[in-house]
Amino acid sequence: MKEQSRRVNHPCGQIVARPHEMDELLERVWTQREKGKEDQTSLLAATPVEEGERWLKGLLAEKLIHLEGGSPEGEKVLFTPEGEKEAREIIRRHRLTERLFADVLKTSEEVWEREACELEHQTVLTEEAVSAVCSFLGHPPTCPHGRPIPRGRCCSEFKKDLTPFVIPLSEAQVTESYKIVFMTPENHRRLDRLAVLGILPGSTIRIHQKRPSYVIRCGETDVALDLEIVKDIYVRKG
Amino acid sequence: MADKEQLVASETTPKIALVGNPNVGKSVIFGLLTGRYVTVSNYPGTTVEVARGATTIEGQPVVIIDTPGVNSLVPMSEDEQVTRDILLKEGPTAIIQVADAKNIRRALLISLQLAEMGKPFLLDLNMEDESAACGITIDKTELATKLGVPVIGTIAIQKRGIKEVQKKALSVAPATFRFSYSAEVETAIQNIKTLLPKSPISRRSIALMILSGDKSLKGWMHEKLSDQTIDQLEQIRDSLSRLYSEPVAYVINKQRLRVVDELMSFCVRQERREKEGWQSWVGRLSMHPVWGLFVLAGVLIVVYEFVGKFGAQTAVNFLEKGLFGHYLNPWAVTLFSKIFSFSPFLRDLFVGEFGIVTMALTYALAIIFPIVITFFIAFSFMEDSGYLPRLSIMLNRLFRLIGLNGKAVVPMVLGLGCDTMATMTARIMDTRKERVILTLLLALGVPCSAQLGIVLGMLGALPIWATFLWFGVVGGSLILVGFLSAQILPGDRSDFMMEIPPIRRPTLINIVTKTFARLEWYLKEVVPLFIIGTLFLFLLDKSSLLPKIQNFASPLVEGFLDLPKEATEAFLVGFLRRDYGATRFFDLFGKGRLTPIQAIVSLIVMTLFVPCLANVLMIIKERGMRTMIAIVGFIYPFAFFVGGIINWGLRIL
Ligand SMILES: Nc1nc2c(ncn2[C@@H]2O[C@H](COP(=O)(O)OP(=O)(O)OP(=O)(O)O)[C@@H](O)[C@H]2O)c(=O)[nH]1
Ligand SMILES: [Mg+2]
Ligand SMILES: [Zn+2]
Ligand SMILES: [Zn+2]
Ligand SMILES: [Zn+2]
Repeated sequence: MKEQSRRVNHPCGQIVARPHEMDELLERVWTQREKGKEDQTSLLAATPVEEGERWLKGLLAEKLIHLEGGSPEGEKVLFTPEGEKEAREIIRRHRLTERLFADVLKTSEEVWEREACELEHQTVLTEEAVSAVCSFLGHPPTCPHGRPIPRGRCCSEFKKDLTPFVIPLSEAQVTESYKIVFMTPENHRRLDRLAVLGILPGSTIRIHQKRPSYVIRCGETDVALDLEIVKDIYVRKG
Repeated sequence: MADKEQLVASETTPKIALVGNPNVGKSVIFGLLTGRYVTVSNYPGTTVEVARGATTIEGQPVVIIDTPGVNSLVPMSEDEQVTRDILLKEGPTAIIQVADAKNIRRALLISLQLAEMGKPFLLDLNMEDESAACGITIDKTELATKLGVPVIGTIAIQKRGIKEVQKKALSVAPATFRFSYSAEVETAIQNIKTLLPKSPISRRSIALMILSGDKSLKGWMHEKLSDQTIDQLEQIRDSLSRLYSEPVAYVINKQRLRVVDELMSFCVRQERREKEGWQSWVGRLSMHPVWGLFVLAGVLIVVYEFVGKFGAQTAVNFLEKGLFGHYLNPWAVTLFSKIFSFSPFLRDLFVGEFGIVTMALTYALAIIFPIVITFFIAFSFMEDSGYLPRLSIMLNRLFRLIGLNGKAVVPMVLGLGCDTMATMTARIMDTRKERVILTLLLALGVPCSAQLGIVLGMLGALPIWATFLWFGVVGGSLILVGFLSAQILPGDRSDFMMEIPPIRRPTLINIVTKTFARLEWYLKEVVPLFIIGTLFLFLLDKSSLLPKIQNFASPLVEGFLDLPKEATEAFLVGFLRRDYGATRFFDLFGKGRLTPIQAIVSLIVMTLFVPCLANVLMIIKERGMRTMIAIVGFIYPFAFFVGGIINWGLRIL
C-alpha cells in the first residue's frame, strides 16, 4: 500500500498526489483543532479512515504534522507550517464545494457532502478552478454548516477585483443595476411566474428597497418579492 | 358592483375579446367601446370575471368581452384560466391585445402566444402618455410590419386612439410573424400536433401549452382526447423534459423572450426619461419601512374623519334626526294613518315600530346611505391612486402570520367595501388553502362599508377605550383564527410576488362613475333586503311570535350577553345582513336603550357575524357547500362566545 505522496503528471504540470486517506486525516486535524481538541486519541476516534495510526505516521514522515509532549489525553497532534498550508487548501476546497452544491445546484445534503469529499483533493480541482468557484460564489465566508472557509488569494484581492462575480440578489445593493446570471428557485411555479414578468437570465434589474419586502424593478415593472425568492436569483453588476 | 353576466346578443354575433397583461387599461377601453361600466382600479387583478357588452362596428353589432389580466396564456391561477378558456373554448372572432406601452417587453410575450394561436388580433399600445414620460419610443409601423398585425397607440383615459382601434378591430387577420424554438422543442411540438383535434386555436399553441405542463388543460384534454392519447402526450412531454435540467415551461419562456428582445431591438428605443415626478416620490414613501407607517396612519385618519365623522355623524344626524325625524317620518305617519285609518295593521306595516318607512327606509336611506357614499368615495381614491398594493408590502409580514401573504391585503381591504365581491376576488390567491382562509376571515371579521360606518358612528359616541377594545377584539380574532386555521388546514402558503403599479392621479370621472355604480348596487341589493327583514320582524311582532323568540333566546341574549330583549330582533335581522343588525343596535343605542358596555358587546358580536345572505351564497359558489357549512357553523358560536367573554370581563372590571 502506498503511504506516501508521489509526484504525478497532470495536464497542468507536475503536482503532488497524496493518498486520499492522508488528505482525510489532514482535514480531520483541522476540524478537531476548530473544536479545540488537539490530542491524538480523539483525533483517531473521530476519523473514519481505517488504520488511522499508520496514515498518521505517513503524515509525520512527510513533515506535515508533528507530535508534542504527553498530556493526560495523549500526545498533541500539531501542523507543521507546510501541513497547515496543505490542510487549509483541502478545507477550502471542501467547503467551497459544499456551498456550490448546496446553494447553486440545490442538491440534497447527502449529495453535497459526498461531492465535497470527492472534490477536495488537489488532483481534482486545481487552484485556478478553486478561485473561479470562490469568485463565482462571491467569496463566501462560511460553508453551509456555518464553519469558516479559509480565505484564498482571490478573496484578499476581492476589493480590487474588477472582473464581475456573481452574488445572490438579496446581497445586491439598493439602486445599483445588475444583470441576472441564473436563477435557482426550488419550485417551477415560481420560475414561470418570474419569467412572464420578464425576470429571466439576461434581464437587467434593480433593487428599490429591501424592507419590509423586497421591491425590484425590471424594465418599467416594479415587483414586490419575498426574501426566499430574491435569494435564489443570482446577479452580477452591470 | 355585481357583474351579472348579461349575454348581449345571439350566438352568431362576432365577438371581440380584450386580452392583455394586468392593469393595462382593458376595462377602461371596454367601457369606452361598449358604454358599460366595469370596475376600473389601479392595481393588477381588478377584473376577476368576464364581462360582456355590446357595440356596433361599421354598422355590424359586436359583442365585446373584457377579461382578467394575464401575464401568459398558460394560466397560473384561477383568474388567469378564465381568460385562456375564453380563447380556447369560445373562439372570439378577433382579439384586441391591450398593452402597457412602457412594458412592451412583457406584452410582446403575449403577442407571440397570440400569433402562435393563429387568432386574428391587433396590438393596442395603451398608456402612451406614460411611456413617453419614460423616454420610450416605439416604431409602430416597423412593429406592425414585423408582426403582421395592426399596431395602434392609445391613451385610454384621454379617449385618444380608441376610434381607430374600434374601426380596425373587426378587419384584422392572424399575425404573419413566425418563429421557432430549439430543434428538440420543435420535434415535440410536431409529435403532439398530430394527436390533437381541431380547435378554435392552433394545434401548435395547444402543443406548447401541453409541453409547458399546463394543468388547467386537463379538463379540456379529457373531454376531447382518449386516455391512450393523453398517455402518449405525457410521454412526449416527459422525454422532452429529460433533455433539460430546467422545467420545459421555463425553457420555452426563455426562448420566447429571446425572440421578443430581438424584435425590440428593431422597434423600441430608450431615450432620456423625464425627471421623476411627485408620484414616484409618494410611491416610494408609502412603502418605506418607517415612513410607510406614517403614510398609513395619515390615510386612516383622513378616512376616519371623512367617513366616521363627516359621513357617520354630521351627515347622518342631518338626515336621520333632521330630514327624516322632523319632516319625512312625521309626514309619512300622518299620511299613512289617514290612508289606512281603517286598518292599524296596514298602518303599522308602513309607519309602525317595524314599519317599511319608519324602519327599513329610514335605516337604509338616512343612516347607511350617507355612510356608504362617503366610504365609497374614500375607497375609490385608495383604489385609483395605487396605494393598496403598497399597503400589501407593509402588511406582508402580518399576513404571513395568518397563513396568507401580502397579496391578500387587496381582497381584505376590498372586503371593507363589500365582502361578497371580495370573496370572489379571493381567486387571485394561488392555493386553495389561502382562498379558504381568506374567505373565512372576510366572513368573520371584515366589516363592510355600511357596517363599518355604523360602528364608527357608535364608537364616536362611546368613551375612547371602546374604540380600542373593538379594534383589538376584532383584529385579535382575525389574527387568532387566521393563525389557527393556517396550522390546521392542509395545503401550502404561496409566494408573495406582486406587481406594484405606479402611483397615478385618480381621475374624477372614474371616482364618480365607480361611486355611482356601487350606490346603484347598494340600492338594488341592500334596500330590498332591508325591507324583507323589516317585514319579517313586523310579522313576527304581529303574530306575537317575537316575544316567544325573545324568551327562547333570553338565556343567550339577556343572560350570557346581558343585553336587552330587543337585541334579539337585531340578531335576527343580522342573520340576513349584519349591517342591518348593527343599524338596529345603532338605533337602540341612540334611543338610550343600551349602556356603554351593552353597546360595545353588541357591536363586537355583530361584527363577528357572517356578513349577509349574499355572502353565504358567494361562498357556496366559490368554495363549495361543505366549506360554507364549516365556515358558518364556526362563525356564529364564535361570535357569541367572544361577546360573552368580553361582557364577562367588562363586568368584572
Ligand atoms: N396614464 C394612463 N393611465 C391609464 C391609461 N389607461 C388606463 N389607465 C389607468 O390604469 C389603471 C388600470 O386600468 P384598468 O382598465 O382597470 O386595467 P385592466 O387592464 O382592466 O386591469 P385588470 O382588470 O386588473 O387586468 C386605471 O387606474 C386607469 O385609470 C392610459 O392610457 N394612461
Ligand atoms: Mg379590468
Ligand atoms: Zn472530506
Ligand atoms: Zn461544511
Ligand atoms: Zn475568494
